[in-house]
Amino acid sequence: MTALYGFYVLIWPALTLGVLALIIRAVLRDRRKAKEEQRELV
Amino acid sequence: MNSELYQFSTLTVILLLLAFYGGTYLLTLGIRKKNEDADAFMVSNHRVGFGIGAASMTATWIWAASFYAAATSGYTYGVSGPIHYGLWGALMILFIYPFGRRFRKLAPNAHTLGELIHARHGSSSQLILALSNVLGSVISLMVNFTAAGALVSVLSPLSFQAGVIIAGVGVLLYTLWSGFRASVLTDFAQLVALMAIAIVIIPAVFFSMGGPTELVAGLDNLTPEQASLFSMDAILNQGAPFFVAVLAYAIGNQTISQRLFAVNEDHIKPTFLTATVGYGAIVIGLGMIGLMALTTGVQPLDGDMNNLIPQMVSGYLPPLFIALFFILVIGSLSSTADSDLSALSAIMMADVYGKNIARGKADPKRMLLVGRLTMIIATMVGVVFASFALDILVMLVFVGALWGAIVFPVIASCFWSRVTNQAFTTSVLVAMVLFCVARFELVSLDGGSGLFFELLASVGGGVIIGLMVFGFLGRTAGFIAGLLALVAMLIFATGFLHDYTVLLASLTAYGASTVVCVVMSLLSRQPDFDFDTIRERVGDYDSHDKAPGAEEDDALPAATRLAGQR
Repeated sequence: MTALYGFYVLIWPALTLGVLALIIRAVLRDRRKAKEEQRELV
Repeated sequence: MNSELYQFSTLTVILLLLAFYGGTYLLTLGIRKKNEDADAFMVSNHRVGFGIGAASMTATWIWAASFYAAATSGYTYGVSGPIHYGLWGALMILFIYPFGRRFRKLAPNAHTLGELIHARHGSSSQLILALSNVLGSVISLMVNFTAAGALVSVLSPLSFQAGVIIAGVGVLLYTLWSGFRASVLTDFAQLVALMAIAIVIIPAVFFSMGGPTELVAGLDNLTPEQASLFSMDAILNQGAPFFVAVLAYAIGNQTISQRLFAVNEDHIKPTFLTATVGYGAIVIGLGMIGLMALTTGVQPLDGDMNNLIPQMVSGYLPPLFIALFFILVIGSLSSTADSDLSALSAIMMADVYGKNIARGKADPKRMLLVGRLTMIIATMVGVVFASFALDILVMLVFVGALWGAIVFPVIASCFWSRVTNQAFTTSVLVAMVLFCVARFELVSLDGGSGLFFELLASVGGGVIIGLMVFGFLGRTAGFIAGLLALVAMLIFATGFLHDYTVLLASLTAYGASTVVCVVMSLLSRQPDFDFDTIRERVGDYDSHDKAPGAEEDDALPAATRLAGQR
């Protein structure tokens, strides 16, 4: 029960970390692509 | 645990705000152009990448109230509370994307959903949509500035008004020149900060209060409903009203449609899926702090639930974390406020000036002026309303009803060629009138009249489920799901729904607008609408490189394209 509740609380920051990593990676890729195509990121 | 809120000195708070708004402003200097482009000011280049798009959508959808309300939900409804706040909020992003792809396919170069509706129906329908968007964004601005004032006043000696004004000026400063481009770029930076802080703060509070052992021990303090993951109390009071609003919030919010028209068309799905997970994770996670407060027996300071998170952070963590929490809230409210300013400016530029004043002869330079003046006026209105702490409950009620009333007409107009302008406008007006009758109980809701509204509300329930399923699984599945939901509502909801006037009135708005829109459209003798004409009528205002999917317009000069915009 203790582990289950621990998981229930901590899964959300863990998910947030995953999404943050995904977004940063995607932005770096977008930036590289924009540079290659000589256009702005936004 | 320390039960008092930590207090920063005036200098510390001013330095924190200066660092945040100054840093954000400096970031926008990197993309600033002397002569900004009117289209880019509204939707960037229609090719915003997946990363920036997902970050911007997530940051925009998370406002200051998200944290406070999620924590309040956790404190009030216990274990399932944060889920019933965060999950439905996240689904608002998820359920709009299938419709968003259709909007984008119909009008690849649109800047607002109103432009699409203008091309489909004309001014009256478009202006109804624009009005609902404007009211929504002004309310959002006001709520965010209010949150800034409240945060500054509880954590420092500075006044509420000082916090409101600093936030208003700070947001305006970095958004004014580059508009939407500045908004999406800063959203990314703000989201990175916001997520990083959430990732640190949630476990920090959790382990400082004693970790899972203490949480489980504290469950004895909860009522059986609060301790249950499937609490009916939480579902009926928190989840159900949110569920009803899922499509309405998404359709009625220009900040969402602006991003639907801005991101690369191929990336709409991953962008909105990522934003759904990101929003859900942050908001539910911070809502868990409310659950922690409940299990440890913390009482909200002065009975104000908004003090729960600051109290927990102040009580269990050192001042550095309180500064991080301060930045977390300022970041979330600023990212939403800059998106609201961009949304309002796009509506005034495209829907009001472009479509109804210039009527196809829009001058891009004048459009930019309209956009920037709108931002200044909207900030002033937001700051003034927030400073006077006006009661916006009635306004919120009407905006919610208006959003509910337009859901079916807007979606049907984009898929069904028989919907007419008259059907759109009349259905929304009738739905608003019937909503008011039910919401304010202008007639007795017992007996025959109560049954009438329950029948309409049942149709509304069927429409919500039907549209949600239709978005993902298509017409047949949507129709079957809607019909099943209608039958279930008729069996289980009639006879008792009139006791829940808020829910009854909201569902009535959906049901009434659907019935009127369908009947009037079927009775209409107008020829079926040709959806291909929308693409011809909605174009860019400045001459520049086009987005993919708009190739056929490339051969035409800007002026010729504009002439087709009525």
